[in-house]
Amino acid sequence: MTNQAELLAFDVATLAGKLRHKEISPVELTAAYLERTERLDAKLRCYITVTADDARAAAQRAEREILAGNWRGPFHGIPIALKDLCSTKGIRTTGGSKILAEHVPDFDSTVWARLAAAGAILLGKLNLHEFAAGVTNSNPHWGVCRNPYNLERIPGGSSGGSAVAIVARLAAATIGTDTGGSIRIPAAFCGCVGMKQTWSRVSRYGVLPLADSLDHAGPITRSVIDAALMLQVIAGHDPDDATSSHEPVPDYVAACGREIKGMRVGVIRELRTDLSDAVAASFDAALAKLRELGADLSEVSLPAIDHVPAVVTTITFAEAAEYHQPWIRTRADDYGRDVRRALEAGMLMPAVHYIRAQRARAVMLAQAQSALERCSVLVAPTAAIPAPRIYIGANALMPNGDPVDMVAAILRFTAPFNVTGQPALALPTGLAPDGLPLSMQIIGRPFDEPTVLQVAAAYEAARGALAPPAI
Amino acid sequence: MRINPESVKALAREVFEYELTDDAAASVARILGAMTNGLRQLEVAGGSQPPFGYPTLEAEARRLRQRASQ
Repeated sequence: MTNQAELLAFDVATLAGKLRHKEISPVELTAAYLERTERLDAKLRCYITVTADDARAAAQRAEREILAGNWRGPFHGIPIALKDLCSTKGIRTTGGSKILAEHVPDFDSTVWARLAAAGAILLGKLNLHEFAAGVTNSNPHWGVCRNPYNLERIPGGSSGGSAVAIVARLAAATIGTDTGGSIRIPAAFCGCVGMKQTWSRVSRYGVLPLADSLDHAGPITRSVIDAALMLQVIAGHDPDDATSSHEPVPDYVAACGREIKGMRVGVIRELRTDLSDAVAASFDAALAKLRELGADLSEVSLPAIDHVPAVVTTITFAEAAEYHQPWIRTRADDYGRDVRRALEAGMLMPAVHYIRAQRARAVMLAQAQSALERCSVLVAPTAAIPAPRIYIGANALMPNGDPVDMVAAILRFTAPFNVTGQPALALPTGLAPDGLPLSMQIIGRPFDEPTVLQVAAAYEAARGALAPPAI
Repeated sequence: MRINPESVKALAREVFEYELTDDAAASVARILGAMTNGLRQLEVAGGSQPPFGYPTLEAEARRLRQRASQ
């Protein structure tokens, strides 16, 4: 007999075995998640919409199918949730905005369609920074989302609700999106796994865009193997997304069990500067752990990283402003102040700047690929600081009350790999002395998600799980 | 044209019929100024192709035609 706390602590890989062998029921599992969400979400504000009745009905269907011997795979009967940027047929999809507060799509995003076909149960839609255009998740329309390890700290964003739901055990797995770091930043600040796979590997059809040429939808999960399991379901060409890749989808799960002895790992020099003491110490310890596992570490340099803030901001603001053009002209007052400013700047971004920024992407990818000729993966901290303090508005605060330089402290670390489109996975490296999670990124060659997952799984197994937060 | 609050206000009005507040114009001018300075240093990118591929253009056109015929 499994008690509720144990049930909610299991990752998808563990739950899948228990569901398949009928040791637990999707109905009991879904009820446990819904009960905990009802109890805790007023404090955490990670859900915008809870689809409790639909979830219970889907759990009953999954139970009948599994009992009849028709187990569909590892996501059959697994309660998940989606960032509220992913369209869901008949269920409102707000983008975390006032503008789309009543928007009910008549079609499913491909990521949700594939997870639903795999038997996943939708618990609801998750809070985010308005229209994914920021990293605090202090949402003026749907509530300030809070970090489960310290309720006065931001969870990070823009997929803050997706990471909070994982760590607070309000969903077994979630989908986030990442344009400049929006999967990896909240995964880092909340202490879970966030994977941004190669651009084009996963369909973006039905996911409200921030900046099409930088956007990714991907897994936020409790463990590395869960990220592999989820990616296995959602990866692959989609005729509804012309930019989605035709590359064959490899076996991501099999990669997770392989050792990394002798593997060459590059440590990115430009991303080891200006780190907080806690991040520096934790990252050094992570490197030592990789060495213990037999990895061969060396320093690599990607000097073009210095240009990333200008490139990513120019592309993001310009593409976002084009998408929001009808609303910014007619409903400007319905945007939060920070998002409105970004869109206004994007409207006036010269086309020559935009094209110049797009051209620079190949230069940056070429540098990264040169480094990856000598190494199998690259590593760097996911952010220079642990989660900063909540400050209602665009920004967040350092412990001493100073505003955080979001670019220098956070986006500098994550956005380079949106610019290059490479796969990058964030995973916990430990807790700071003040109890906040710390994180490292593992970055791979385009479409080499298996090696990224291999290194992440080996490190995760050696380090062990983070102590869960006391909420 | 210099990038300052007055020039960005005028541009927004002329191109988009959009009125920026004084506060917004100051903020937008700061952002555009920073981007312009940052991108000036990217001369190195001049010889590379922007990542807009013909296969994507063709696939998107095919998808739109299929949708129109449904």
